[in-house]
Amino acid sequence: MALGALALALLLLLAMGAMRQLRGWRAARIAHAENAWRDALSEAADDPNDVRLPPIGRFEMPAFLVLWNHFQESLKGEASDRLGVLLTLHGIDRHVLRLTRARSLRLKLIGIAAAGHLREQRAWPYLENLALNGGSIVSFAAARALLRIEPRRALEVLGAALSAREDWSLARIGSILQDLGPQVVTGPLVTMLLKRPKKGLDRLVKLARFGHRERISTIVRGWLGSSDEMEVLLAALDYVEDDSDLPWAKAAAGHTEWRVRMAAAKALGRIGGRAELAVLLELLRDPIWWVRYHAAQALTHLRGLEPHELDTLRENARDAFAADMLSQALAERRWQPVRLS
Amino acid sequence: MKTLVLVLEWFFILYFVLVNAGYMALNLLAIPSLRRKTALRPLEDLPPVYSGFEPPVSLLVPAYNEQATIATSVRSLLQLDYPEFEIVVINDGSDDGTLEALKQAFQLEGFPEVYWRRINAQPIRTIYHSRTHANLRVIDKVNGGRADALNVGINASRYPLFCAVDADSILQRDSLRRVVEPFLDDPTAIASGGTVRIANGCTVSGGNLEKVELPGNLLPLLQIVEYLRAFLFGRMGWATLDAVLVMSGAFGVFRKDALVEAGGYKAQVIGEDMELVVRLHRLLRARGERYKIHFVPDPICWTEAPESLSVLKDQRIRWQQGLCESLHRNRELLKTKNAGGTPGFLAFPFFMVFECYGPLIEIAGYAFMTAMFLLGQVSGLAFAAFLALAFSLGFLLSVSALLLEELSFHLYPRFSQMGALVCSAIVENLGYRQLVTFWRLVGLARWLRS
Repeated sequence: MALGALALALLLLLAMGAMRQLRGWRAARIAHAENAWRDALSEAADDPNDVRLPPIGRFEMPAFLVLWNHFQESLKGEASDRLGVLLTLHGIDRHVLRLTRARSLRLKLIGIAAAGHLREQRAWPYLENLALNGGSIVSFAAARALLRIEPRRALEVLGAALSAREDWSLARIGSILQDLGPQVVTGPLVTMLLKRPKKGLDRLVKLARFGHRERISTIVRGWLGSSDEMEVLLAALDYVEDDSDLPWAKAAAGHTEWRVRMAAAKALGRIGGRAELAVLLELLRDPIWWVRYHAAQALTHLRGLEPHELDTLRENARDAFAADMLSQALAERRWQPVRLS
Repeated sequence: MKTLVLVLEWFFILYFVLVNAGYMALNLLAIPSLRRKTALRPLEDLPPVYSGFEPPVSLLVPAYNEQATIATSVRSLLQLDYPEFEIVVINDGSDDGTLEALKQAFQLEGFPEVYWRRINAQPIRTIYHSRTHANLRVIDKVNGGRADALNVGINASRYPLFCAVDADSILQRDSLRRVVEPFLDDPTAIASGGTVRIANGCTVSGGNLEKVELPGNLLPLLQIVEYLRAFLFGRMGWATLDAVLVMSGAFGVFRKDALVEAGGYKAQVIGEDMELVVRLHRLLRARGERYKIHFVPDPICWTEAPESLSVLKDQRIRWQQGLCESLHRNRELLKTKNAGGTPGFLAFPFFMVFECYGPLIEIAGYAFMTAMFLLGQVSGLAFAAFLALAFSLGFLLSVSALLLEELSFHLYPRFSQMGALVCSAIVENLGYRQLVTFWRLVGLARWLRS
């Protein structure tokens, strides 16, 4: 057994040495070619037609596409289109299509990302199938590619999945929607919000921030009086913006869930005036630290309330916790950071 | 007598085979996860785009007598690449100039902040805000140890996730982004720990890692192979089974609510980081809640390894005491019927037998075989075979850890570096591992006595 283990260890060492040799050889070849690729891609961003791209071998293709994807991530508009033209001119688009169907996860992901940047319509049916039926990683990569190829159509196809698939990170979807811009995403978001899906409504409401605020606000504020769901209330309170919402915000200040009370305090700070003083003073005595904190913050921003009145409120506060919190809020307001030269 | 010797001889051999087979199985489990990780790299390495949905993180830095390095450490943390984070330094009653160094470097001023004491901890003296960095606060408190300082940090933190960072940890700019990633993808994530690598020999400038190199000193070189074994297939293997019981205290992110509900860190415990993770498993399993503790294999945190035997000895004794205490305090995890899951029925017994009491059996095995050989009860051939088996299995494990490194992160690309690591994989089995096992036995004995 000892000899067997030793032999196996030596075999692993040999495999390691061979891998290292192969990797070194490949890395050297790619490092040599990469400078030429970089130059070609930089030129292609201006004009792809006269660019001389050195021949790219089969083994080098993934490395080239990784670099191409990197360039695409930092480019927008026509420059991005021109990089796409470069691939088509050199027949690399065919390799990209092949890679999307590769068995290796790494190659597949490189291919899918490139197909998205290339806005490769021929890949649409396959990518749509992957996005709707694939595993977490591949489906999300495919969804991202579809959103790059034809954003509006992709939003229609993926609409429900964007909010309902919990295995798709909200942060990652958010960065894509942010990139697409409110002109593109507002319409589909409004359509989805109007349907008010049961599954994933909380995620949808969060994603709605990437649409035009006015159009989203009209729908979401409408839910204030008609829903008791916490996530819906939280989102709606985030959108309240004028006096007409005051009754809802005040009602939410008495909610049993502290996160709703905290959102109500924030909302009252934005839209409230002296008339809301009593509600905020009540929230200032809340058992939850965060509710007290935001109530104190709201008081320091309340319309029509002078700084000396806040000092008086603090001095007269019977509740020590409330007085301390108000002191903190006032100190934060008066805190002057130093700018580093 | 002869039968007893034969039975014991086979018992020790069987134990050595079993423990190494267990680690080998973890190694095999780690391979697909690491390969998947490598496959995702073309996407992960693209420039990050932040959407605003990334959960903000509070970095908690307990500091006790860190006057010389604390300002550099904080400056390096301030440079982390992450959209929203705050740094809370907790001065744990230092009796050197730690607080003064911080005051001077970051223009700190006392601030009337309301402290929310959700977890019991030593009282605080003053909360300072920095005039130069809006996301930096320093809390001066009465000394209570690292766990107590972290509890104070949790109480004072503002964000839903917190990351415990040792003041002497060396991080990369993308460390925080990488360790928080599991929280973006998995709503059930409650903790995420990263891989710790050894910084001895590396070039570090202004608290940031500039260049990865191997140390010139043998002792840290041996520890590099040890760390590769511990992190790449130890933790990675357990992570594949959803049964991570150990997370490094040097750099780990937790969901604050889960931790507050569990009662925070235990100040009386030596290995508070491991105890916390095992306790979270126990409590959440008992409640039947869905949760996941993630492990990020990327090398994201670097630490200086001991360069002298006496410091290494103290460290290993302390680690062993902590491990034994963490397991025994949470032994209910083993009894959590049906709900214990892989942490309960697999990881916990494995740790108990091979990690907690393992040193006792290993040292007893070496002592027994040597004594029997000297007494003529075991033939020279059998004794040599036993030693050869212990050496070759240990060597095989170390080589497979090096192979995993080769397959995944490839941080030591030169052939000379590979040669040095292979040599240290050989040398560590010729006395070093046995010495560490002996220290662990001392740790076990101290824990039993306490």
